[in-house]
Amino acid sequence: MKSFVSFLRACCLVYGLLATSFAGQVYAAAAQSPEAIYAELAKLKPEDRAKRIEEGARKEGKLNFIHTFRGKLARDHVRLFEKRYPYVKVEMADMGSQDAAERFIAEETAGRHLTDILSLAVPDLPVILKQDLFANYPTPATRRVPKKFEGFLDKDNRWVPWYWSEHGISYNTNLIPADKAPKSWQDLCNPAYKGKVSFDPPETRFMVGLYVMMGEDKFQAWLKCMGENQPIIQRGHTQRMNLMLSGDHAIQGDNFLYVGAEEKKKDPKTPYAIVYSAPILAYAGVMVINKNTQHPYASALFSDWTLSDESQKYVADEFRGPLIGKHPYLPDNVKVVTFGYVGDDVVERLHGYWNKYIGKKK
Amino acid sequence: MNMAAGSSNSGRRFSLNGSKLALALVVLILVYQVVIPLAMVIWTSLKLERPGEAGFFDLSFSLANYVRAFGSRDFWQATWNTLGFALVSTALSFGLGTFLAWVVHRTNTPFARLIGVITLGRIIIPGILITVSWILLASPSIGILNRSLEALTGLSPILNIYSFWGMVWVHSLEMTPLAYLLLSAALQSMDPRLEEASAVAGAGHGSTLRKISLPLALPAVGAAVMLLLIYTIEAFEVPLLLAGRAHFRVYTTEIYFNTARTPTDWGLSGAYSVAILILCAVFLAVYFRLVRHGERYQTVTGKDFRPRRIDLGRWRYFASAVSLSLVFLITGLPFLVMLYASLLRRYQPPSFEVLQGMGLSNYREILDDPAYSIDPLWNSTLVGLGSATAVMLLVSVMSYFVHKTRMRGRKLIDFFGFAPVAMPSVVLGTAFLWFYLLVPLPVLGTLTIIALAYVTRYMAVALRFVSTSMLQIHSELEEAAAVAGGDWWRNFRRIYLPLLRPGLMAGWFWVMVHAYRELTIALMLARSSNRTAAVIIYDLWENGSFPQLSAFGVLIFGLLIVLVLIGQTIGKRFGVQEQV
Repeated sequence: MKSFVSFLRACCLVYGLLATSFAGQVYAAAAQSPEAIYAELAKLKPEDRAKRIEEGARKEGKLNFIHTFRGKLARDHVRLFEKRYPYVKVEMADMGSQDAAERFIAEETAGRHLTDILSLAVPDLPVILKQDLFANYPTPATRRVPKKFEGFLDKDNRWVPWYWSEHGISYNTNLIPADKAPKSWQDLCNPAYKGKVSFDPPETRFMVGLYVMMGEDKFQAWLKCMGENQPIIQRGHTQRMNLMLSGDHAIQGDNFLYVGAEEKKKDPKTPYAIVYSAPILAYAGVMVINKNTQHPYASALFSDWTLSDESQKYVADEFRGPLIGKHPYLPDNVKVVTFGYVGDDVVERLHGYWNKYIGKKK
Repeated sequence: MNMAAGSSNSGRRFSLNGSKLALALVVLILVYQVVIPLAMVIWTSLKLERPGEAGFFDLSFSLANYVRAFGSRDFWQATWNTLGFALVSTALSFGLGTFLAWVVHRTNTPFARLIGVITLGRIIIPGILITVSWILLASPSIGILNRSLEALTGLSPILNIYSFWGMVWVHSLEMTPLAYLLLSAALQSMDPRLEEASAVAGAGHGSTLRKISLPLALPAVGAAVMLLLIYTIEAFEVPLLLAGRAHFRVYTTEIYFNTARTPTDWGLSGAYSVAILILCAVFLAVYFRLVRHGERYQTVTGKDFRPRRIDLGRWRYFASAVSLSLVFLITGLPFLVMLYASLLRRYQPPSFEVLQGMGLSNYREILDDPAYSIDPLWNSTLVGLGSATAVMLLVSVMSYFVHKTRMRGRKLIDFFGFAPVAMPSVVLGTAFLWFYLLVPLPVLGTLTIIALAYVTRYMAVALRFVSTSMLQIHSELEEAAAVAGGDWWRNFRRIYLPLLRPGLMAGWFWVMVHAYRELTIALMLARSSNRTAAVIIYDLWENGSFPQLSAFGVLIFGLLIVLVLIGQTIGKRFGVQEQV
């Protein structure tokens, strides 16, 4: 009986400690919300603001972050930050943008504020925007974003763009000499390229980019003629690029250009060329801070750091698209068409066109 | 509850010590691991709101997701295609698997053990690598085999991996080890006296296999065919990489095209899952009807029983040559492509220049960062050991209640044990994530949550492995032990578990290996400290390094082969011994 009473006492103690800790968290959260902190920070001079953020981050000492760079690429990026700010320990998960969005929604809906900040592709934002889960975070860091990328900024300061991804046309130079290569998106409909151009299965981002560049009618007409040209439909951007470079097929109708560029850097004999005369479709990768972040200062520190020279150089060194500084392999005069997200009704129509002209062909 | 021990010939009341406790535990685990996720899937399929949106928990339901899922003609065309793909692939992989299992376990074919190990080696190589390896072998443009055949015959291209038959070939080879494992478990517990009687009556080896061995292994045959059909219907990697270029749409690609958007359409995914669930229920009903006379398959009795190999005479060399050729195609050839690619900086078809540039840089780069190679391999080993052991113990007890008692509701246990096969990994992973976000147990971000999800994921296939062996055990053994006064748990541990060894070992191996390969659940539940080998495979794939991915595949292959050999050595110490 005595031991049972001791057990009950121990349980009460543990419960009390947990309750106190929980109440403490609630109190801390209630004392000043992240958005209130960010509004206050916005009133400070940049130097004072930076100092306040660093002090706050030092006290918090931790950051839970979801990166949409993968594997080593993500880890080395975060290591740079940790080297610069050793007092912030980053707990990182890396996954695709869509998975990141789904996980974030699940956590927040369950009331578990486990993620402080995440990197997402802009086309994946609408579902989270609808649920109002992002903190408004005005920051002077975005002043560095050059004019040509201003379209990536959000007037409500719900995200901070920090790199861009590109879709473009490329080809195997062993299979197609430069003078016979396509020069534009429309050229892909040329019967000379029948059965030689590869695409992923219907991809919202790519279709939205074309829609923004061409308009709806021209996009529909382009899909129709592409469908008649018997495109290769195969899942996996990287795999398709590797197969093309191995000589499996000739042209990438839609792919990230960096995979081939990286290969070319490693081995200059790689038979790879980019069609610079066709506009490049570009969307931003952005940092978004959870409205309920448990580490508001560390989140702000990380978000601002992604636009620093150090982080941007890393982006360029890894053959992704930096917002600040020179692009690692695209010439300055290449035409870049930036795009964000469109309404659900447009997305639905674009998928419908794909299914009609390409997807359902047997 | 009316529970009766004995398969069908005993009406004895079921009141052995410990059994009710075990049953209660099984039911609790089933509810926790299967019923709750399943209920979440069914609920979602009947809702128009996404999880987390207002109204998701309201008691208003709609069939709109089902109408969307099954209302289009294209979907039914894809279903028809899938049926053809599933039937042909199942027939081929079942034939190959059965032949190899018979050669390895029931004959004196030379190199039988080697043939068995190489067959199992196929399971170890990640599916993505195998499919890509076959593209590199039989692509019309760059396939190594096509180039070789062109050099020999002047004809080009002879093989086309981007075709219906290419898909059937790659997928059948992928599934052959499953058929092999299921049939192996059954053939290892075969009573040789029945085959000897057949031989005495003048029947040849083929006739004995057809008329005696396979009918006696009917539970394994039924389980193999059922699982092969279901896995082919659910096949994803092969159709996704090959079907697009073959202009051939199957069920899974159709589902993928219809749901793979941001945000994920959970309602539609749920509707598809429920359809597969219904299909599984139909298969299970057919299976139960097939094995309704459980006593007919009881080859493990109280009498002296030691499996013995059939002497094939001179034919044993022929059997060995055919089997070695088969396993070379199944495992050897793709492994060699993987090994070759792992030594390159960039994949290129073989040439003198390419061979000169080969090196070990991919291995060095991978091993250079232990957090990215050793740690995930260790995590997968822990998850594999834990989930494989837990799930095999669980399904052993479940199988006992299903096949060795006549309690009411026993088929429901089998149904719920088998139901997870109908839940796509992405749906199951999400269900687990949601559940543990809502239930404040400290498992998020740990290996435990992945292991728990794997217990559910692999319960179905593990249950079939063990059920096959359980049906072969005669109840007289347990009855004799009960008369001698042993309690239920002791009898179960001392009688059933050793006699179930073939099924247990095969199932354990299957689950263990898949803990290294399973990607979707591992990705959904991964955080900084619980990355598994599969997550690294995906990262390497996404980051565009097929040669590095191949190097990692070779490392996994080596590690798992060592584990398999250790497992076999341990397994040989227990259970039924072969008669030499």
